[in-house]
Amino acid sequence: MLSREEVLKIAKLARLTLTEDEIAFYQKQLTRVLGHIQDLNQVQTSKEAFVQHVPNDAESFREDRAAPFANPEGLMRNAPAVENDSFLLPTIVEHS
Amino acid sequence: MSLEKYESVIGLEVHAQLMTQSKMFCRCPNQFGSSPNTNVCPVCTGQPGSLPVINKKAIELGVRAAVALSCEIHPESVFARKNYFYPDLPKGYQISQYERPYSTQGHIVVRLKSGDEKRIGITRIHFEEDAGKSNHESYGTLVNLNRAGVPLIEIVSEPDMRNAHEAGQYLRALHSILRYADICDGNMEEGNFRCDANISVRLRGTEKFGTKVELKNINSFKFVEKAIEYEIQRQVFAIESGEKIIQQTRSWNSGKNVTEVMREKEQAHDYRYFPEPDLPKLMISSKWFEQIKKEMPELPKEACERFKKAFELSDYDASVLTSSKELAKYFEAVVAHCKNGKASANWVMNELLGRLNAAGREIGDTPVSETQLAALIKKIDSGEISGKIAKTVFEEMFATSKDASSIIKDKGLVQISDPAALESVVRKIIEGNPSQFAEYKAGKVKLLGFFVGQAMKETKGQANPALLNELVKKLLDS
Ligand SMILES: [Zn+2]
Repeated sequence: MLSREEVLKIAKLARLTLTEDEIAFYQKQLTRVLGHIQDLNQVQTSKEAFVQHVPNDAESFREDRAAPFANPEGLMRNAPAVENDSFLLPTIVEHS
Repeated sequence: MSLEKYESVIGLEVHAQLMTQSKMFCRCPNQFGSSPNTNVCPVCTGQPGSLPVINKKAIELGVRAAVALSCEIHPESVFARKNYFYPDLPKGYQISQYERPYSTQGHIVVRLKSGDEKRIGITRIHFEEDAGKSNHESYGTLVNLNRAGVPLIEIVSEPDMRNAHEAGQYLRALHSILRYADICDGNMEEGNFRCDANISVRLRGTEKFGTKVELKNINSFKFVEKAIEYEIQRQVFAIESGEKIIQQTRSWNSGKNVTEVMREKEQAHDYRYFPEPDLPKLMISSKWFEQIKKEMPELPKEACERFKKAFELSDYDASVLTSSKELAKYFEAVVAHCKNGKASANWVMNELLGRLNAAGREIGDTPVSETQLAALIKKIDSGEISGKIAKTVFEEMFATSKDASSIIKDKGLVQISDPAALESVVRKIIEGNPSQFAEYKAGKVKLLGFFVGQAMKETKGQANPALLNELVKKLLDS
């Protein structure tokens, strides 16, 4: 079982503030997720068994030609707030 | 405070944008100064389902840099995700290289003001993508993603530098190499060449490194040197007053000439690096590598050797003239027009660079063009003006950007090479100084110089010096 402190550390990395109920909830849920990873660790992935797909030069690279995307405005429309053609976010305070 | 007791240890990290047409993993233009968020697409804004594809040219430029910096190149390297949260990083991770960079173990040899050379090691070079840009306003943060995904190489030095001057020279040499090889345009104001410095101090003779402080994003060579100098003194002073150096990130305030705390590093960053699953391993075949090597542009040290041979320049002159690509190009253009390498070197180094430095200007905004300087040198070579007058003319050219010929005409500075005209001047001087003439005749031959000087003064320096000398001697002895 994940400790309360471990959950709080993960929450901090994810910039989340959790209630007491949520801490208890994530202790259980994250423990289950990690348990699944434990299961995956049993899969045989020695060097011989693990062969990464190695494509040839032609398929792994792109020639350096610029082609502007046709609909950048469409991407902006996904944003909750826009100002001066920029994504507007709440003021960022440098995290320390 | 006793600075001499301490030794500082400096390592630099440089981020250099690669001069490609398109971004690292998408086809958006790699272009500075476009309207905000116009060079963006699903890939570089981190839209679900989009996939990165590696820009071949970016890899080639990176390999070029590794060759130029005498680095080892690894035929197989791996892209990794560096996870952190910041609004200008839309994917929530930066594609970088971590455990297996494409290049390691290189070096640069830099020239110090003492005349010595120093070899500074390069730990590694790796590829990564740039983040977007945040502008902090009172009402919130504005994010522009035009820069997100622009290709970068990060060049990490060994902690080999011991003072601000060495760090400055390392940066200048690195900058020059990247510019020469057309890898990075080197524009520091636009942030295309950025430097972070790690600095610690320790008692001389000790092995263990002191606690290091990181200086972030300093945008000129001069500021890097000033910031490091300040930081070394600050740390020594703190230690001497019994304080402990805290590991932190600081920035240079160029208005106040001090470094200031940006953030304390209370714990090592947890970037949760892992191999980028959306990209294959980066394979650089030997065939490709050979091809890139074959297409390498000339590097500063090669240009230096060529200048020495072609224009019969000293080691020092050639290294100054090839210290930047712009300067080397300028010099070559001057020689091409006037066909006098030695004179071109003297004029560019002594007169032009001297004045540019004094005015705090770069060769890029010289008021005297290559052809203008060449025309001036030609006038000296043809005897139209003396070297001395040429300096006056050049001063005027530098101030007004006018051609030498129009300045010479306007000010009536043409050299007097007419023997009859000069002879009358010399006679006048001799007649006006009877006692010196008598002394000369009595054997005080040193007075020849006096008569030449007076005649030169009379002609406002415009007399042809060789001819004048000859005439004075002839008339005194007749
Ligand atoms: Zn894009």
